[in-house]
Amino acid sequence: MNIPTTSIQTFAALVPEIILVATATIIYLAGAFFPGKSRPTVLALIGLIAAAGFMLCDDQRAETFTKTLPALFTGPLAVDLFGHSARWFIVIAGAVLLLLSHRAADDEQGPEYTGSVVMMLAGLMLISAADELVLLFVGLELVSIPTYIILYVGRRGAASQEATTKYFFLSILSSALLLYGFSFLYGLAGSTYLPNIARALQSQFAISSAVSPLAAVALLLIFAGLGFRMTAVPFHFYAPDVYQGTTNANAGLLATLTKIAGLLVLARIVVGSMPGVESLGWKVMLAVAVLTMTLGNAVALWQSNIRRLVAYSSIAHGGYILIGVAVGLAQLTLARDDVSQPAQAINGLGTSLFYLATYVLATLGVFAALVYLESNGQPAENVDDLAGLAKSHPFASVCLAVFMFSLAGIPPLAGFWGKFSLMSGTLDVGAPFSDSRQQLQTWFLALAIITMLNAAMAAAYYLRIVAVMYFRPATKEYPATGGGYAPRLAMVLSVLLVIGVGILPGWVMNTADQAGISVRSTKSSGGTATSLSADGLPAGAAPIANGPAATVNVVQAVSPTRESDR
Amino acid sequence: MDNWLNILLILTVMLPVAGALLVWLLGWSGRTDIRPLALAVSLVTLGLTGWIISCYPGGGKELAVSNFSWLGGPDSIVNIRFSLGLDGLGLWLFGLSSLLTLTAILVSWEAITERRTAFFGLLLLLETGMLGVFTARDIILFYIFFEFTLIPLFFLIGIWGSEDRRYAAVKFFVFTLAGSLLTFLSLLAIVLWNYTATGQMTFMIGELVAGLQQHPMDASLQLWVFLGLFAGFAIKVPLFPLHTWLPLAHTQAPTAGSVILAGILLKIGTYGFLRFSLPMLPDGTAVCTPWILWLSVIGIIYGALVALVQTDFKRLIAYSSVSHLGFCMLGIFALNSLGMEGGTLQMINHGLSTGGLFACVGMIYERYHTRQISEFGGLARRLPFLAFFTLVFTFSSIGLPGMNGFAGEFLLLAGMFQRGWSESPEQLGTQFMWIAVLAVSGVVLGAWYMLYMIQRIFFGPLKEPEVHLDHGHHDHGPASPAGTTAHGTSAHDSHAHDTHGHGAIATLPPGVPDLKLREFFALAPLVVFVFWIGLYPEFFLRSIRPNVVDLFPPAARDLYKNYGDPIKRPYVEPLDEAIANAGPAHSKEAAQ
Repeated sequence: MNIPTTSIQTFAALVPEIILVATATIIYLAGAFFPGKSRPTVLALIGLIAAAGFMLCDDQRAETFTKTLPALFTGPLAVDLFGHSARWFIVIAGAVLLLLSHRAADDEQGPEYTGSVVMMLAGLMLISAADELVLLFVGLELVSIPTYIILYVGRRGAASQEATTKYFFLSILSSALLLYGFSFLYGLAGSTYLPNIARALQSQFAISSAVSPLAAVALLLIFAGLGFRMTAVPFHFYAPDVYQGTTNANAGLLATLTKIAGLLVLARIVVGSMPGVESLGWKVMLAVAVLTMTLGNAVALWQSNIRRLVAYSSIAHGGYILIGVAVGLAQLTLARDDVSQPAQAINGLGTSLFYLATYVLATLGVFAALVYLESNGQPAENVDDLAGLAKSHPFASVCLAVFMFSLAGIPPLAGFWGKFSLMSGTLDVGAPFSDSRQQLQTWFLALAIITMLNAAMAAAYYLRIVAVMYFRPATKEYPATGGGYAPRLAMVLSVLLVIGVGILPGWVMNTADQAGISVRSTKSSGGTATSLSADGLPAGAAPIANGPAATVNVVQAVSPTRESDR
Repeated sequence: MDNWLNILLILTVMLPVAGALLVWLLGWSGRTDIRPLALAVSLVTLGLTGWIISCYPGGGKELAVSNFSWLGGPDSIVNIRFSLGLDGLGLWLFGLSSLLTLTAILVSWEAITERRTAFFGLLLLLETGMLGVFTARDIILFYIFFEFTLIPLFFLIGIWGSEDRRYAAVKFFVFTLAGSLLTFLSLLAIVLWNYTATGQMTFMIGELVAGLQQHPMDASLQLWVFLGLFAGFAIKVPLFPLHTWLPLAHTQAPTAGSVILAGILLKIGTYGFLRFSLPMLPDGTAVCTPWILWLSVIGIIYGALVALVQTDFKRLIAYSSVSHLGFCMLGIFALNSLGMEGGTLQMINHGLSTGGLFACVGMIYERYHTRQISEFGGLARRLPFLAFFTLVFTFSSIGLPGMNGFAGEFLLLAGMFQRGWSESPEQLGTQFMWIAVLAVSGVVLGAWYMLYMIQRIFFGPLKEPEVHLDHGHHDHGPASPAGTTAHGTSAHDSHAHDTHGHGAIATLPPGVPDLKLREFFALAPLVVFVFWIGLYPEFFLRSIRPNVVDLFPPAARDLYKNYGDPIKRPYVEPLDEAIANAGPAHSKEAAQ
């Protein structure tokens, strides 16, 4: 068992995060000395650009971004394609987020607010790079703790207090569950280092070839802890109250950043480092996915408050995202049980990552538009408040319509490709002619059909918003100027990204697919698996190399692909 | 030659989008009148469309094939390609899309007064969607265009529609989307099956057809995949129990929306059956054929009976669409050459005649602001030219010989009788004959409800709803209820164009003007094609035929496989051969 050693290289790999934390600190400090003078958004953006610049230099050293990026393993970090592309995405989403929350707090509390947002981004980036339980948890808390501040800053109303308190206690509870789950993993492996955990679980599975009860408990606890962040049923119930009780900017933050955090940790630990529990894992994920999306969509149909509606929509999207995780785990189950599996056409986890990206872009856009409209402290509360928006704010309503259509999955927007890749993955396992087992086929085929019916149901409430904006006369006056340049810029950026990814999704989709593969294949400490993934070998065919028996498996699994390559 | 032609095709498909963007950019200030620009774009598109169609060599070939990598490459997970091309199935629908867009723009010229920029931009956007659907050679590209048509029409109905427009728009969208999402699953299943069977990840329709014909899916699987495709296409058509969104959408839509919805968008459903279901899933098609035929014929009779009792003329024509699309489906699922040629031709015929009828009744509505048949009478005296055009389209719709409807209906009914008489499996023989006979009764009913409507509106003593006489056209925003007095702003120019209404009836008191030059040009091209197809259908059939004859044999084979061998009837062969050999030009004599 190798113990990760922290070296100067580890810190070098963490420079982007360190830059962001430093930026946040400067913002906090500057806020104390120059209160209410200038907006710290610019400073935050500069920090973000500096972090991006560093990552760009890093990319220059690697050949190309998508396929041959060598994974950098240093100490408790794994900057593989998964972590790296996630970091890039967080930088982009973070820029939009900073812009849309430009005026989210009062002048005096502006620095605290912006600094906390930057801190959350740093936490997220740490999560994407961490390969060790403690570091992962630190990253998660770096996301959670600033959230409490953000929710509380400058809000004195009873509703927002309730929302904050509710979120605070549930978040603590979820962290506790997560830690409890981590402790089981540590108990099983005797290490907090994820590759070690993966090896330990793998060798245990090789002996017993059944799901170890302790690992199962760990899985359930970890998933419960992450379920809060992904608003998965039955841990979803806080979301509507909290989103409704807080501001548009905060709701946008919660709807996107916490979901990113949830999926990243889920991918790293459950998909990436827990071999042997896949067969339990996909069942749990599938059941929760079905419940989550159906409940979210069904309840969203009856909402009249916008943020409540978007909250239920984001719950539903959490369910969609879990579909990909379930597919990924099912693919791993198949690959584990049957080495002669044909190469999977599409990696399940990759589809989740891609879907998450499309969801985040569109949701950020929705909230950017809402923030833009809320100037003069008069936010649009109800869907009916948007009536006649097409006349008073034609551009904002076009943007909102684009985001709604994207969330509904109408081509040619980003959301369509999200649904496309999710369904490709699901049918890859679920189609009656796929080589998977009967049980999986039935379940995943049912999942595909339920998802499509859900998508149709969801279209109804997204369209309602569009219909209100375009088909009804105004009932509420909005200031003609709108909410300032920063939210407008955030809105424009999101709309460009949503349309851009809609027209040319190939690069993002491929990167997500490869990233999904890299989570599992880089787990073995040797260079073998890494170089395999560099060859574009699908995850299903690259089991964890561990001990002589597993090595044989690798050879068997690899040889057909190699031959076909020639 | 094909090299520049494929560039031309891409330009043609994309030109309306560019036009729409230009319209929106210029119209931003609100001062420029963007209608001439929209008209110019649609005219250029029509010209290019005509040019491309005139280059079509026939013989089932594909024309102007372009094939660009769009997402990923051959080694990537998604090898979706931007590939356009035209063959006999899509050729005329492609042309019809351009033609009806022109009509739609012309009939909206004065009818739309609010948010004109948005309206004409959306019409052009819709045109790209339609042109793309009929030319896409990639299954996902097809689906993208297919879904994309929903967005512009949603806004067209919802913003510029009549009193119940919001409900109609949302119902239309959600209904169609629900079906097409299941279609999407089936399309993916087809792709993945092909990948499993051939090891090649391809989304090209042609390669998928080849792959699925070499490695057909299991029968039970085909049935499920077929039902998934059916969900989307049958709602779009719409087939009988799934038609409820259509009358609502048609009645509430603005005239241009109705014209395009009836003329083109419904055909995407039948086109989908032709393009995907029949060649890719012959067994699934065969198993479902009796059911679909029954649903079609129920739709024919039901649509006709409901049309008979309508009091609202737009609603009447909407139900007639349900009936006529039943004929198209009947022809396609007759699964023989005659039926499928007829069904495909009837798709175009219905687009011309019903598109024209919707345009005509839209013009009446524009003049009187009411859709109630009972409020009209003897309009032929007031509006002789409009009455003439309406009559032409009516006769075309009921299938008067010499006009397009006859050619299509005769062929497809002949095909259905052929299927029922000589080509039906033992256990289905009686059923198929009944279906054919009932379908013929649908033709009679069709003549009844259409002529009854025409008689009430255009003949008898003159009866007009109250209108302000000095207003040639109305200005109805979404907020103004139908029937209120219009407040036209440019009444004078309507008289300037009124070159057709003068002289004919001097004794009448002054009233609404007859057909204007603009309206004449909206309808006249359709009439040309009504007679062209009616008098010389072979011109159109010869480009359709080579493509459809490839489509039905696998499905027909599987029909016999599932339901037993065909009945042997002694004197069948001569009749069959006579019809098949003589071709449609002679088939009229055979009917008499």
